[in-house]
This record gives sequence, structure tokens and C-alpha cells, in this order.
Amino acid sequence: MEEPGVIRGYAERLARELAFDPALARRVRREVEDHLLEAAACSGAAGAEAERRAVADFGDARAIAAQFAVVSLAKRARWVGFVAVLAIAAVFAAMKMRLLWYSAMPATFKPGALGEMVLAIDRFAFWLSVLVGVAAWLYIDSRGIPASLTREYRAQLRRFSRLCAAAAFALIASVICDGMLTSLRAIATGWSVAFVVPALLMAAEVACAGLLVSHLRGMARRAAPMLEPPAL
Amino acid sequence: MAAMEGEMLKGHLDMIVLAALAPGPAHGYAVIEVIRGRSSGAFDLPEGTVYPVLHRLEQASLLSSRWTTAESGRRRRVYALTRRGERALAEQHAVWERFADAIGALFKGGRWKSPA
Repeated sequence: MEEPGVIRGYAERLARELAFDPALARRVRREVEDHLLEAAACSGAAGAEAERRAVADFGDARAIAAQFAVVSLAKRARWVGFVAVLAIAAVFAAMKMRLLWYSAMPATFKPGALGEMVLAIDRFAFWLSVLVGVAAWLYIDSRGIPASLTREYRAQLRRFSRLCAAAAFALIASVICDGMLTSLRAIATGWSVAFVVPALLMAAEVACAGLLVSHLRGMARRAAPMLEPPAL
Repeated sequence: MAAMEGEMLKGHLDMIVLAALAPGPAHGYAVIEVIRGRSSGAFDLPEGTVYPVLHRLEQASLLSSRWTTAESGRRRRVYALTRRGERALAEQHAVWERFADAIGALFKGGRWKSPA
């Protein structure tokens, strides 16, 4: 059986170290393989010796992967910030579409005391999610990406995660209130085929909130080992 | 020229990589060769450290990149300065010149000798 080349072995090891981000691992592997092959060709040595020299000059795979991990985490955090704003905007669009649909329906609905209270909570929770979500996005987008995971950047990521979590909780509260209001309306005016559209729009709102939560959880899972304080 | 102190070099790696790309687009290996050649070997980095920097600068929109096919037929990633990158390099260059002038003025007239 033919032994895999030194360069290929190194590129595979680096890709394994970057397994937390498959797209990055693929790209880095191709880039690094090209680099090492060129370095080996220019090294003046031949065969396996040239490959060994190229790999030695490149540096330790684990150390390089650690530097990439910071870039990957920063990229992920910025993406989550964008998803938060997108999810909030989509919920807003669904709310407006539902209201438009209601205005076209013949039946009128008076929310009553309970409905008014839920509506007030809904408005407060939604605008809170807008405020905090946009703040989180602007905050993480305006931070520079450090070369290594500094204490300052760790603190920034924790702050960003808390802001995102607050925005997600507020959005979930708003979506729950929307669900209650939709149910109150359906009970008051009676179920009909016309309620399929508001029900679908409600489902879209739930999906948006779910998308945000799933992205937040994904980032938290990725960041957890990196944000842990170093063992004493 | 002796190799620069590692920590000093790391602190200025972004500026060094941006400056290496100032003449035009290049792939990672060429960037390292430019850095090594133009610094007369003073900036002799572990080659792998340049790639996370390239990715980070791209993430910060200071660089753009695309895959091309080399003469050898291998696919390679070529990096280029963006407008924002050019502006950042110009700013860093101005800051560096002021800093170097100030340090130079401080050292002027000193009674020490550089190590051989």
C-alpha cells in the first residue's frame, strides 16, 4: 500500500483540527496543499525531503488551527447577529401581513381587557427585541477580529451572546403574545378557512424565532470550549 | 539582518500582509515570498501564520479573494486589497511613519552601539 505523502498527511491533519467549521476546513486544506506543493518545488530538495521541509517551515498544525478558530468564531458571531436582525424583520413582516389580512376580513374583533394586555406586552416585547437585536448586531460588527482569543475579545463575545439571548427571549415573548391574540380572535370570530393565512403567518413567526434560537445554540456550543476560563 | 523579535512582528502582521499585497493580487505563498524578500529575510515567519491573517483581513473586508488556476493546473486562492484595505494601509503607513520618526528622534545621539 502506498504511504500518503507528507504534505497530504499534514493538510489532512490541519483539516481535522478545523473540523468545527467544515467549509473553512475544505478551503484551508486546498489552500495549504497548494502552498506546500509550491514550497516543496522551490525548496531545492527532492521527494519526501522537500515535502518535510515545506511542512516544517509551515508550522504546527494545531497552533495554526487555533488562529483560524478565532476567525471562524468571529465570523459565526457576526452571522448570528445578522440572523437575529433578519429573524426580527421577518416576524415584523409576518405581523404586518396578518394585520393586513384581518383588515380585509369582514368580521370585526374587539380584543377586550385580556387582549389589550397581551397586545401591550406584545408591542413592548417586540420593540425590545428590535432594539436589543440591532444593538447586538452593530456591537459585534464593529469589533475588530483579534489574532488570538484575547481576554477582551472573550468579554466582547460574552456581551454579544447576552444581548442576542435577550433579543431572542423578547422575540419569543412577542411571538407567544401574537399566538394568543390570534387564538383570541379565532375564538371570538369563529374558525373559518380564512384563518389558514393567519395560522400560516403564525407558523412563519414561530419558525423565525426557532431559527434564531438554533443559531444562538450553535454559536454557544462552538464558543463554549473557547470561552471557558483557562484551567489553573 | 537578524530575524525580528517574534512578538514585535506579530503585532504588525496585519500591516505587513496588507503592504505585501499593495503591488497587486497574490496567493499566500507569493505573499510570504514578498514579505521575506522585501524585508531582506528579517521577517522570517512560520509560513502557516500568514493564512489566518489573510482570512481575518478578508473577514474584516480589507481583502477580497477568489480561486484561480495556476500554470501548474492547481487551484489557488488569490487575495487582493479592497478599497477599504487600501485606506487602512494608507492610515497604518502614516501612523507608522510618525511612530518611526519619533523613535528615531529619541535614539538620535545615544551612546550605545547596535549588537553586531
